[in-house]
Amino acid sequence: MIVNNNCLYCGACAGVCVADAIDVQELKIVIDEEKCTKCGLCVKTCPVAAIEME
Amino acid sequence: MDIDTDIVVVGAGPGGSLAAREAAKHGANVLLIDKKAEIGSPKRCAEGVSKSGLEELGINPDPRWIARKSTGVRLVSPDQTSVWLDEDTIDIPESGYVLERKVFDKHMAMDAARAGAKIMIRTRATAFERTDDGVIITAERMQEEVKIHAKIVIAADGPESRVGRWAGLDCNTKFNNMESCVQYEMAGLEMENNNVIQLYFGSVAPGGYTWIFPKGDDIANVGIGVLKTHTDKPAIEHLNEFIKNCPETQNAQAVEINMGGDPVGGLIKERVGDNILVVGDAAGFVNPLTGGGINSALESGAYAGIVAADAIDSGDYSAKNLQEYVKLTDENIGEGYDKYKKAKEYLLSLNDDELNDIAHEFVKQEVDEISPKTLLKLLIKVSPKALLKLGKLF
Ligand SMILES: Cc1cc2nc3c(=O)[nH]c(=O)nc-3n(C[C@H](O)[C@H](O)[C@H](O)COP(=O)(O)OP(=O)(O)OC[C@H]3O[C@@H](n4cnc5c(N)ncnc54)[C@H](O)[C@@H]3O)c2cc1C
Ligand code: SF4
Ligand code: SF4
Repeated sequence: MIVNNNCLYCGACAGVCVADAIDVQELKIVIDEEKCTKCGLCVKTCPVAAIEME
Repeated sequence: MDIDTDIVVVGAGPGGSLAAREAAKHGANVLLIDKKAEIGSPKRCAEGVSKSGLEELGINPDPRWIARKSTGVRLVSPDQTSVWLDEDTIDIPESGYVLERKVFDKHMAMDAARAGAKIMIRTRATAFERTDDGVIITAERMQEEVKIHAKIVIAADGPESRVGRWAGLDCNTKFNNMESCVQYEMAGLEMENNNVIQLYFGSVAPGGYTWIFPKGDDIANVGIGVLKTHTDKPAIEHLNEFIKNCPETQNAQAVEINMGGDPVGGLIKERVGDNILVVGDAAGFVNPLTGGGINSALESGAYAGIVAADAIDSGDYSAKNLQEYVKLTDENIGEGYDKYKKAKEYLLSLNDDELNDIAHEFVKQEVDEISPKTLLKLLIKVSPKALLKLGKLF
Protein backbone atom coordinates (compact mmCIF):
# COMPACT_ATOMS: atom_id res chain seq x y z
CA MET A 1 0.00 0.00 0.00
CA ILE A 2 1.38 3.39 -0.96
CA VAL A 3 0.09 6.63 0.54
CA ASN A 4 0.79 9.60 -1.71
CA ASN A 5 1.02 13.32 -0.96
CA ASN A 6 -2.69 13.91 -1.55
CA CYS A 7 -3.30 12.58 1.96
CA LEU A 8 -4.41 15.05 4.62
CA TYR A 9 -4.81 12.49 7.46
CA CYS A 10 -8.60 12.87 7.60
CA GLY A 11 -9.16 9.28 8.72
CA ALA A 12 -12.02 8.37 6.37
CA CYS A 13 -10.04 5.33 5.24
CA ALA A 14 -9.37 4.18 8.80
CA GLY A 15 -13.08 4.34 9.59
CA VAL A 16 -14.00 1.75 6.95
CA CYS A 17 -10.97 -0.52 7.41
CA VAL A 18 -12.42 -3.71 8.84
CA ALA A 19 -8.94 -4.94 9.72
CA ASP A 20 -8.27 -1.79 11.79
CA ALA A 21 -4.97 -1.58 9.92
CA ILE A 22 -4.78 2.19 9.45
CA ASP A 23 -3.23 4.39 12.09
CA VAL A 24 -4.04 8.07 11.60
CA GLN A 25 -1.22 10.02 13.17
CA GLU A 26 -0.98 13.75 13.41
CA LEU A 27 0.71 14.38 10.09
CA LYS A 28 0.68 11.00 8.40
CA ILE A 29 -1.15 7.72 8.17
CA VAL A 30 0.53 4.38 8.67
CA ILE A 31 -0.87 1.17 7.19
CA ASP A 32 0.00 -2.01 9.03
CA GLU A 33 0.81 -4.34 6.15
CA GLU A 34 0.50 -7.36 8.41
CA LYS A 35 -3.07 -6.58 9.38
CA CYS A 36 -4.08 -5.35 5.91
CA THR A 37 -6.12 -7.83 3.87
CA LYS A 38 -5.81 -5.82 0.63
CA CYS A 39 -9.59 -5.44 0.45
CA GLY A 40 -9.22 -2.05 -1.22
CA LEU A 41 -12.04 -0.30 0.65
CA CYS A 42 -9.69 2.43 1.90
CA VAL A 43 -8.55 3.09 -1.67
CA LYS A 44 -12.16 3.55 -2.76
CA THR A 45 -13.19 5.64 0.25
CA CYS A 46 -10.38 8.19 0.09
CA PRO A 47 -11.90 11.42 -1.26
CA VAL A 48 -8.63 12.46 -2.91
CA ALA A 49 -7.25 9.14 -4.17
CA ALA A 50 -4.31 9.17 -1.78
CA ILE A 51 -3.92 5.41 -1.36
CA GLU A 52 -2.61 3.22 -4.13
CA MET A 53 -2.32 -0.55 -4.11
CA GLU A 54 0.82 -2.05 -5.59
CA MET B 1 4.53 8.74 32.61
CA ASP B 2 1.53 7.28 34.49
CA ILE B 3 -1.67 9.21 35.10
CA ASP B 4 -4.67 8.24 37.22
CA THR B 5 -8.13 9.59 36.52
CA ASP B 6 -11.77 8.57 36.84
CA ILE B 7 -12.64 9.16 33.21
CA VAL B 8 -10.48 9.57 30.14
CA VAL B 9 -12.10 11.08 27.06
CA VAL B 10 -10.33 10.30 23.78
CA GLY B 11 -10.91 13.03 21.19
CA ALA B 12 -11.69 16.70 21.75
CA GLY B 13 -14.22 17.26 19.00
CA PRO B 14 -17.69 18.49 19.96
CA GLY B 15 -18.62 15.04 21.32
CA GLY B 16 -15.57 14.64 23.53
CA SER B 17 -15.57 18.18 24.87
CA LEU B 18 -19.21 18.02 25.92
CA ALA B 19 -18.65 14.62 27.52
CA ALA B 20 -15.69 16.03 29.45
CA ARG B 21 -17.61 19.16 30.43
CA GLU B 22 -20.62 17.25 31.75
CA ALA B 23 -18.62 14.53 33.51
CA ALA B 24 -16.48 17.15 35.26
CA LYS B 25 -19.55 19.19 36.16
CA HIS B 26 -21.04 16.08 37.74
CA GLY B 27 -18.06 15.62 39.99
CA ALA B 28 -15.75 13.18 38.20
CA ASN B 29 -12.01 13.59 37.60
CA VAL B 30 -11.72 13.91 33.85
CA LEU B 31 -8.82 13.90 31.40
CA LEU B 32 -9.55 14.94 27.80
CA ILE B 33 -6.90 14.04 25.23
CA ASP B 34 -6.55 14.86 21.52
CA LYS B 35 -3.82 14.06 19.06
CA LYS B 36 -4.15 17.42 17.37
CA ALA B 37 -1.74 20.29 17.86
CA GLU B 38 -4.68 22.66 17.72
CA ILE B 39 -8.11 21.49 18.79
CA GLY B 40 -10.58 21.96 15.93
CA SER B 41 -7.98 22.21 13.20
CA PRO B 42 -7.98 21.05 10.46
CA LYS B 43 -11.76 20.96 10.33
CA ARG B 44 -13.63 18.12 8.65
CA CYS B 45 -16.90 19.93 8.32
CA ALA B 46 -19.19 22.27 6.38
CA GLU B 47 -20.01 23.93 9.70
CA GLY B 48 -23.81 24.08 9.54
CA VAL B 49 -25.43 23.68 12.94
CA SER B 50 -28.91 24.11 14.40
CA LYS B 51 -29.51 27.04 16.72
CA SER B 52 -32.00 25.29 18.95
CA GLY B 53 -29.69 22.30 19.32
CA LEU B 54 -27.02 24.52 20.84
CA GLU B 55 -29.46 26.30 23.12
CA GLU B 56 -30.77 23.01 24.49
CA LEU B 57 -27.27 22.13 25.64
CA GLY B 58 -26.67 25.46 27.32
CA ILE B 59 -24.23 26.65 24.66
CA ASN B 60 -24.72 30.38 24.25
CA PRO B 61 -24.09 31.74 20.77
CA ASP B 62 -20.77 33.59 20.67
CA PRO B 63 -19.88 35.87 17.75
CA ARG B 64 -16.33 34.54 17.91
CA TRP B 65 -17.41 31.19 16.51
CA ILE B 66 -20.39 32.10 14.37
CA ALA B 67 -19.33 32.94 10.83
CA ARG B 68 -22.84 33.61 9.56
CA LYS B 69 -26.50 33.06 10.28
CA SER B 70 -28.48 31.19 7.68
CA THR B 71 -32.15 31.92 7.15
CA GLY B 72 -33.15 29.07 4.89
CA VAL B 73 -32.15 26.53 2.33
CA ARG B 74 -32.05 26.35 -1.46
CA LEU B 75 -32.48 22.90 -2.96
CA VAL B 76 -31.27 22.62 -6.54
CA SER B 77 -32.35 19.82 -8.88
CA PRO B 78 -30.19 18.45 -11.71
CA ASP B 79 -31.80 20.78 -14.29
CA GLN B 80 -31.04 23.73 -11.97
CA THR B 81 -34.58 24.24 -10.76
CA SER B 82 -34.38 25.88 -7.35
CA VAL B 83 -36.68 25.28 -4.44
CA TRP B 84 -36.26 27.99 -1.82
CA LEU B 85 -37.40 27.21 1.70
CA ASP B 86 -37.04 29.55 4.59
CA GLU B 87 -36.84 28.68 8.22
CA ASP B 88 -40.36 29.92 8.92
CA THR B 89 -41.76 27.45 6.37
CA ILE B 90 -39.98 24.30 7.39
CA ASP B 91 -37.90 22.99 10.20
CA ILE B 92 -34.52 22.52 8.56
CA PRO B 93 -32.21 20.19 10.44
CA GLU B 94 -28.60 21.27 11.07
CA SER B 95 -29.14 24.83 10.00
CA GLY B 96 -29.25 28.23 11.60
CA TYR B 97 -25.59 29.03 11.98
CA VAL B 98 -22.55 28.42 9.88
CA LEU B 99 -19.78 28.04 12.42
CA GLU B 100 -16.09 28.74 12.49
CA ARG B 101 -15.35 25.24 13.75
CA LYS B 102 -11.72 25.82 14.49
CA VAL B 103 -12.82 28.42 17.02
CA PHE B 104 -15.98 26.59 18.13
CA ASP B 105 -14.25 23.30 18.93
CA LYS B 106 -11.59 25.11 20.92
CA HIS B 107 -14.24 26.97 22.88
CA MET B 108 -16.08 23.75 23.69
CA ALA B 109 -12.81 22.33 25.04
CA MET B 110 -12.26 25.53 27.05
CA ASP B 111 -15.70 25.08 28.61
CA ALA B 112 -14.69 21.55 29.59
CA ALA B 113 -11.55 22.95 31.20
CA ARG B 114 -13.59 25.56 33.07
CA ALA B 115 -15.81 22.78 34.40
CA GLY B 116 -12.67 21.14 35.81
CA ALA B 117 -11.48 18.74 33.10
CA LYS B 118 -7.76 18.44 32.42
CA ILE B 119 -6.70 18.59 28.78
CA MET B 120 -3.69 17.11 27.00
CA ILE B 121 -3.17 18.04 23.35
CA ARG B 122 -0.81 16.27 20.93
CA THR B 123 -1.64 13.13 22.85
CA ARG B 124 -2.68 10.23 20.67
CA ALA B 125 -4.26 7.08 22.07
CA THR B 126 -2.52 4.03 20.66
CA ALA B 127 -3.79 1.11 22.73
CA PHE B 128 -6.53 -0.04 25.09
CA GLU B 129 -6.11 -2.59 27.82
CA ARG B 130 -8.42 -3.84 30.56
CA THR B 131 -7.37 -4.14 34.19
CA ASP B 132 -9.24 -5.56 37.20
CA ASP B 133 -11.18 -2.41 37.89
CA GLY B 134 -10.75 -0.27 34.80
CA VAL B 135 -8.76 0.39 31.67
CA ILE B 136 -5.36 1.62 30.64
CA ILE B 137 -5.19 3.86 27.60
CA THR B 138 -1.69 4.06 26.24
CA ALA B 139 -0.97 7.32 24.47
CA GLU B 140 1.88 8.96 22.66
CA ARG B 141 2.44 12.53 23.74
CA MET B 142 4.96 13.87 21.25
CA GLN B 143 7.91 11.55 21.98
CA GLU B 144 6.71 10.37 25.37
CA GLU B 145 4.62 7.31 26.21
CA VAL B 146 1.81 8.01 28.65
CA LYS B 147 -0.21 5.35 30.50
CA ILE B 148 -3.61 6.64 31.52
CA HIS B 149 -5.29 4.52 34.19
CA ALA B 150 -9.02 5.19 34.24
CA LYS B 151 -12.23 3.60 35.39
CA ILE B 152 -14.14 4.63 32.30
CA VAL B 153 -13.09 5.66 28.81
CA ILE B 154 -15.35 7.78 26.63
CA ALA B 155 -14.42 7.14 22.99
CA ALA B 156 -15.00 10.37 21.06
CA ASP B 157 -12.44 9.72 18.36
CA GLY B 158 -14.62 10.66 15.39
CA PRO B 159 -15.18 8.70 12.18
CA GLU B 160 -12.01 6.62 12.63
CA SER B 161 -13.75 5.05 15.62
CA ARG B 162 -10.84 2.91 16.69
CA VAL B 163 -10.95 3.07 20.48
CA GLY B 164 -14.35 1.37 20.62
CA ARG B 165 -13.08 -1.36 18.33
CA TRP B 166 -10.03 -1.90 20.53
CA ALA B 167 -12.49 -2.48 23.39
CA GLY B 168 -14.20 -5.15 21.33
CA LEU B 169 -17.25 -3.19 20.22
CA ASP B 170 -18.55 -3.59 16.69
CA CYS B 171 -18.42 0.09 15.79
CA ASN B 172 -16.59 0.52 12.54
CA THR B 173 -18.47 2.17 9.70
CA LYS B 174 -19.59 -0.08 6.89
CA PHE B 175 -18.11 0.94 3.56
CA ASN B 176 -21.55 1.49 2.00
CA ASN B 177 -22.47 3.93 4.79
CA MET B 178 -19.41 6.17 4.64
CA GLU B 179 -19.86 9.38 2.69
CA SER B 180 -16.56 10.29 1.11
CA CYS B 181 -16.32 14.07 1.50
CA VAL B 182 -14.11 16.87 0.31
CA GLN B 183 -14.57 20.60 0.52
CA TYR B 184 -12.92 23.89 -0.29
CA GLU B 185 -13.38 27.07 1.66
CA MET B 186 -13.57 29.63 -1.12
CA ALA B 187 -13.66 33.38 -1.60
CA GLY B 188 -15.01 35.38 -4.52
CA LEU B 189 -18.26 33.45 -4.89
CA GLU B 190 -21.14 35.14 -6.67
CA MET B 191 -24.09 33.83 -4.70
CA GLU B 192 -27.66 34.59 -5.67
CA ASN B 193 -28.52 34.60 -1.97
CA ASN B 194 -25.64 34.51 0.47
CA ASN B 195 -27.84 33.98 3.52
CA VAL B 196 -29.08 30.49 2.74
CA ILE B 197 -27.36 27.15 2.65
CA GLN B 198 -27.53 25.41 -0.73
CA LEU B 199 -27.79 21.73 -1.58
CA TYR B 200 -27.42 20.35 -5.12
CA PHE B 201 -28.82 16.89 -5.79
CA GLY B 202 -28.61 14.21 -8.45
CA SER B 203 -25.79 12.83 -10.54
CA VAL B 204 -23.70 15.85 -9.59
CA ALA B 205 -23.06 13.96 -6.32
CA PRO B 206 -23.86 10.23 -6.57
CA GLY B 207 -25.21 8.99 -3.24
CA GLY B 208 -24.98 12.37 -1.57
CA TYR B 209 -25.13 16.04 -2.45
CA THR B 210 -23.01 19.06 -3.19
CA TRP B 211 -23.24 22.00 -0.83
CA ILE B 212 -22.52 25.70 -0.64
CA PHE B 213 -22.62 27.00 2.94
CA PRO B 214 -22.03 30.75 3.11
CA LYS B 215 -19.57 32.08 5.70
CA GLY B 216 -19.40 35.66 4.42
CA ASP B 217 -20.75 37.88 1.62
CA ASP B 218 -18.55 36.13 -0.95
CA ILE B 219 -17.09 33.34 1.19
CA ALA B 220 -18.44 29.80 1.50
CA ASN B 221 -17.65 26.17 2.18
CA VAL B 222 -18.15 24.41 -1.15
CA GLY B 223 -18.10 20.67 -0.76
CA ILE B 224 -19.40 17.28 -1.68
CA GLY B 225 -20.24 13.95 -0.13
CA VAL B 226 -20.55 10.83 -2.29
CA LEU B 227 -21.16 7.20 -1.53
CA LYS B 228 -18.49 5.10 -3.16
CA THR B 229 -21.04 2.40 -3.88
CA HIS B 230 -22.55 4.92 -6.31
CA THR B 231 -19.48 6.20 -8.17
CA ASP B 232 -15.99 5.08 -9.16
CA LYS B 233 -14.56 8.58 -9.33
CA PRO B 234 -12.90 10.13 -6.27
CA ALA B 235 -15.06 12.74 -4.55
CA ILE B 236 -12.63 15.51 -5.46
CA GLU B 237 -13.16 14.96 -9.19
CA HIS B 238 -16.92 15.37 -8.77
CA LEU B 239 -16.36 18.52 -6.72
CA ASN B 240 -13.93 20.12 -9.16
CA GLU B 241 -16.36 19.49 -11.97
CA PHE B 242 -19.18 21.09 -10.01
CA ILE B 243 -17.11 24.17 -9.20
CA LYS B 244 -16.17 24.62 -12.84
CA ASN B 245 -19.80 24.42 -13.97
CA CYS B 246 -21.66 26.28 -11.23
CA PRO B 247 -22.00 29.99 -12.01
CA GLU B 248 -21.67 30.88 -8.34
CA THR B 249 -18.32 29.16 -7.85
CA GLN B 250 -16.71 29.43 -11.30
CA ASN B 251 -14.65 32.48 -10.41
CA ALA B 252 -14.03 31.69 -6.75
CA GLN B 253 -10.65 30.78 -5.28
CA ALA B 254 -9.98 28.13 -2.67
CA VAL B 255 -8.12 29.18 0.46
CA GLU B 256 -8.44 25.85 2.27
CA ILE B 257 -9.16 22.21 1.48
CA ASN B 258 -10.79 19.77 3.89
CA MET B 259 -11.72 16.16 3.61
CA GLY B 260 -13.20 13.43 5.70
CA GLY B 261 -15.58 10.55 6.07
CA ASP B 262 -19.13 11.05 7.25
CA PRO B 263 -20.77 7.90 8.68
CA VAL B 264 -24.42 8.08 7.62
CA GLY B 265 -25.58 4.55 8.46
CA GLY B 266 -27.35 5.49 11.70
CA LEU B 267 -26.56 4.71 15.31
CA ILE B 268 -24.15 1.92 16.13
CA LYS B 269 -25.90 -0.55 18.42
CA GLU B 270 -22.85 -1.45 20.49
CA ARG B 271 -22.08 1.94 21.94
CA VAL B 272 -21.41 0.87 25.51
CA GLY B 273 -19.36 -1.92 27.01
CA ASP B 274 -17.80 -2.53 30.40
CA ASN B 275 -15.85 0.65 31.23
CA ILE B 276 -16.57 2.30 27.86
CA LEU B 277 -19.05 4.61 26.15
CA VAL B 278 -18.79 5.70 22.52
CA VAL B 279 -20.09 9.13 21.41
CA GLY B 280 -20.40 11.31 18.32
CA ASP B 281 -19.26 10.14 14.89
CA ALA B 282 -17.50 7.19 16.46
CA ALA B 283 -20.93 5.74 17.30
CA GLY B 284 -22.71 6.93 14.16
CA PHE B 285 -24.38 10.01 15.62
CA VAL B 286 -24.86 11.62 12.23
CA ASN B 287 -28.20 12.50 10.67
CA PRO B 288 -28.46 9.86 7.90
CA LEU B 289 -30.24 12.28 5.56
CA THR B 290 -28.21 15.45 5.97
CA GLY B 291 -24.89 14.09 7.17
CA GLY B 292 -24.94 16.65 9.97
CA GLY B 293 -23.32 15.40 13.15
CA ILE B 294 -22.29 18.39 15.25
CA ASN B 295 -25.52 18.70 17.19
CA SER B 296 -25.80 15.02 17.94
CA ALA B 297 -22.11 14.69 18.79
CA LEU B 298 -22.66 17.40 21.38
CA GLU B 299 -25.85 15.84 22.67
CA SER B 300 -24.53 12.27 22.84
CA GLY B 301 -21.39 13.58 24.53
CA ALA B 302 -23.42 15.34 27.16
CA TYR B 303 -25.46 12.19 27.96
CA ALA B 304 -22.33 10.06 28.11
CA GLY B 305 -20.61 12.51 30.44
CA ILE B 306 -23.51 12.51 32.86
CA VAL B 307 -24.02 8.73 32.80
CA ALA B 308 -20.28 8.11 33.23
CA ALA B 309 -20.04 10.51 36.17
CA ASP B 310 -23.01 8.80 37.82
CA ALA B 311 -21.31 5.44 37.33
CA ILE B 312 -18.14 6.77 38.96
CA ASP B 313 -20.28 7.92 41.84
CA SER B 314 -21.89 4.51 42.26
CA GLY B 315 -18.64 2.58 41.70
CA ASP B 316 -20.23 0.36 39.04
CA TYR B 317 -18.67 0.74 35.56
CA SER B 318 -20.27 -2.30 33.98
CA ALA B 319 -21.99 -2.17 30.60
CA LYS B 320 -25.22 -2.86 32.40
CA ASN B 321 -24.90 0.22 34.54
CA LEU B 322 -23.98 2.34 31.51
CA GLN B 323 -27.07 1.23 29.54
CA GLU B 324 -28.83 4.41 30.58
CA TYR B 325 -26.73 6.17 27.92
CA VAL B 326 -28.08 3.86 25.22
CA LYS B 327 -31.62 4.50 26.39
CA LEU B 328 -31.18 8.28 26.46
CA THR B 329 -29.62 8.42 23.01
CA ASP B 330 -32.14 6.01 21.48
CA GLU B 331 -35.04 8.06 22.77
CA ASN B 332 -33.68 11.50 22.03
CA ILE B 333 -31.68 10.96 18.87
CA GLY B 334 -32.08 7.46 17.43
CA GLU B 335 -35.81 7.50 16.89
CA GLY B 336 -35.59 10.59 14.71
CA TYR B 337 -32.76 9.00 12.71
CA ASP B 338 -34.90 6.07 11.62
CA LYS B 339 -37.15 8.47 9.74
CA TYR B 340 -34.25 10.37 8.22
CA LYS B 341 -32.74 7.09 7.10
CA LYS B 342 -35.89 6.11 5.24
CA ALA B 343 -36.06 9.56 3.66
CA LYS B 344 -32.45 9.17 2.56
CA GLU B 345 -33.13 5.76 1.01
CA TYR B 346 -36.02 7.31 -0.90
CA LEU B 347 -33.85 10.19 -2.07
CA LEU B 348 -31.19 7.79 -3.29
CA SER B 349 -33.78 5.86 -5.29
CA LEU B 350 -34.61 8.91 -7.43
CA ASN B 351 -32.93 9.53 -10.76
CA ASP B 352 -32.25 12.98 -12.20
CA ASP B 353 -35.55 13.12 -14.10
CA GLU B 354 -37.56 12.26 -11.01
CA LEU B 355 -35.70 14.85 -8.95
CA ASN B 356 -36.45 17.44 -11.63
CA ASP B 357 -40.15 16.52 -11.66
CA ILE B 358 -40.35 16.91 -7.91
CA ALA B 359 -38.62 20.28 -8.04
CA HIS B 360 -41.00 21.49 -10.77
CA GLU B 361 -44.00 20.44 -8.72
CA PHE B 362 -42.62 22.26 -5.67
CA VAL B 363 -42.08 25.45 -7.63
CA LYS B 364 -45.65 25.35 -8.96
CA GLN B 365 -47.07 25.10 -5.49
CA GLU B 366 -47.49 28.02 -3.14
CA VAL B 367 -45.95 26.61 -0.01
CA ASP B 368 -46.63 28.65 3.08
CA GLU B 369 -46.06 25.93 5.53
CA ILE B 370 -44.67 22.51 4.85
CA SER B 371 -45.85 19.76 7.08
CA PRO B 372 -44.70 16.21 6.55
CA LYS B 373 -48.20 15.49 5.22
CA THR B 374 -48.20 18.15 2.51
CA LEU B 375 -44.71 17.12 1.57
CA LEU B 376 -45.72 13.50 1.20
CA LYS B 377 -48.79 14.44 -0.84
CA LEU B 378 -46.66 16.41 -3.21
CA LEU B 379 -44.11 13.63 -3.58
CA ILE B 380 -46.80 11.02 -4.24
CA LYS B 381 -48.26 13.22 -6.93
CA VAL B 382 -44.94 13.17 -8.72
CA SER B 383 -43.95 9.59 -8.10
CA PRO B 384 -46.17 6.94 -6.54
CA LYS B 385 -43.16 5.11 -5.13
CA ALA B 386 -42.94 7.84 -2.48
CA LEU B 387 -45.99 6.29 -0.83
CA LEU B 388 -44.32 2.93 -0.77
CA LYS B 389 -41.05 4.17 0.63
CA LEU B 390 -42.23 6.99 2.84
CA GLY B 391 -45.88 6.32 3.57
CA LYS B 392 -45.32 4.64 6.90
CA LEU B 393 -43.16 7.46 8.14
CA PHE B 394 -45.81 10.05 8.69
C1 LIG C 1 -16.73 17.33 4.81
C2 LIG C 1 -17.65 17.18 5.96
C3 LIG C 1 -18.67 18.12 6.14
C4 LIG C 1 -19.51 18.06 7.25
N1 LIG C 1 -20.44 19.04 7.42
C5 LIG C 1 -21.21 19.06 8.52
C6 LIG C 1 -22.13 20.13 8.77
O1 LIG C 1 -22.24 21.08 7.99
N2 LIG C 1 -22.87 20.08 9.89
C7 LIG C 1 -22.77 19.08 10.79
O2 LIG C 1 -23.49 19.09 11.80
N3 LIG C 1 -21.91 18.06 10.60
C8 LIG C 1 -21.11 18.03 9.49
N4 LIG C 1 -20.22 17.00 9.31
C9 LIG C 1 -20.08 15.99 10.36
C10 LIG C 1 -19.36 16.57 11.57
O3 LIG C 1 -18.14 17.16 11.19
C11 LIG C 1 -19.10 15.47 12.60
O4 LIG C 1 -20.31 14.79 12.82
C12 LIG C 1 -18.59 16.00 13.93
O5 LIG C 1 -17.36 16.64 13.82
C13 LIG C 1 -18.47 14.84 14.91
O6 LIG C 1 -17.92 15.27 16.12
P1 LIG C 1 -17.11 14.25 17.02
O7 LIG C 1 -16.79 14.99 18.27
O8 LIG C 1 -17.82 12.97 17.12
O9 LIG C 1 -15.79 13.91 16.21
P2 LIG C 1 -14.66 14.83 15.58
O10 LIG C 1 -15.09 16.21 15.45
O11 LIG C 1 -14.21 14.12 14.37
O12 LIG C 1 -13.52 14.79 16.68
C14 LIG C 1 -12.78 13.66 16.93
C15 LIG C 1 -11.49 14.07 17.59
O13 LIG C 1 -10.80 12.92 18.05
C16 LIG C 1 -9.43 13.08 17.84
N5 LIG C 1 -8.84 11.74 17.79
C17 LIG C 1 -9.11 10.74 16.93
N6 LIG C 1 -8.38 9.65 17.21
C18 LIG C 1 -7.63 9.96 18.30
C19 LIG C 1 -6.68 9.25 19.07
N7 LIG C 1 -6.34 7.99 18.78
N8 LIG C 1 -6.11 9.88 20.11
C20 LIG C 1 -6.44 11.16 20.42
N9 LIG C 1 -7.34 11.89 19.72
C21 LIG C 1 -7.92 11.29 18.67
C22 LIG C 1 -9.35 13.84 16.53
O14 LIG C 1 -8.12 14.52 16.44
C23 LIG C 1 -10.53 14.79 16.66
O15 LIG C 1 -10.17 16.02 17.22
C24 LIG C 1 -19.38 17.01 8.19
C25 LIG C 1 -18.39 16.04 7.99
C26 LIG C 1 -17.54 16.11 6.89
C27 LIG C 1 -16.49 15.08 6.72
S1 SF4 D 1 -8.97 8.96 3.46
FE1 SF4 D 1 -7.32 9.60 2.09
S2 SF4 D 1 -6.80 11.67 2.78
FE2 SF4 D 1 -8.01 10.72 4.40
S3 SF4 D 1 -6.44 9.81 5.77
FE3 SF4 D 1 -7.07 8.19 4.37
S4 SF4 D 1 -5.60 8.33 2.69
FE4 SF4 D 1 -5.41 10.23 3.82
S1 SF4 E 1 -6.91 -2.49 1.88
FE1 SF4 E 1 -8.57 -3.01 3.30
S2 SF4 E 1 -7.54 -3.98 5.02
FE2 SF4 E 1 -5.95 -2.93 3.86
S3 SF4 E 1 -5.78 -0.94 4.86
FE3 SF4 E 1 -7.23 -0.70 3.18
S4 SF4 E 1 -9.24 -1.03 4.10
FE4 SF4 E 1 -7.71 -1.83 5.54
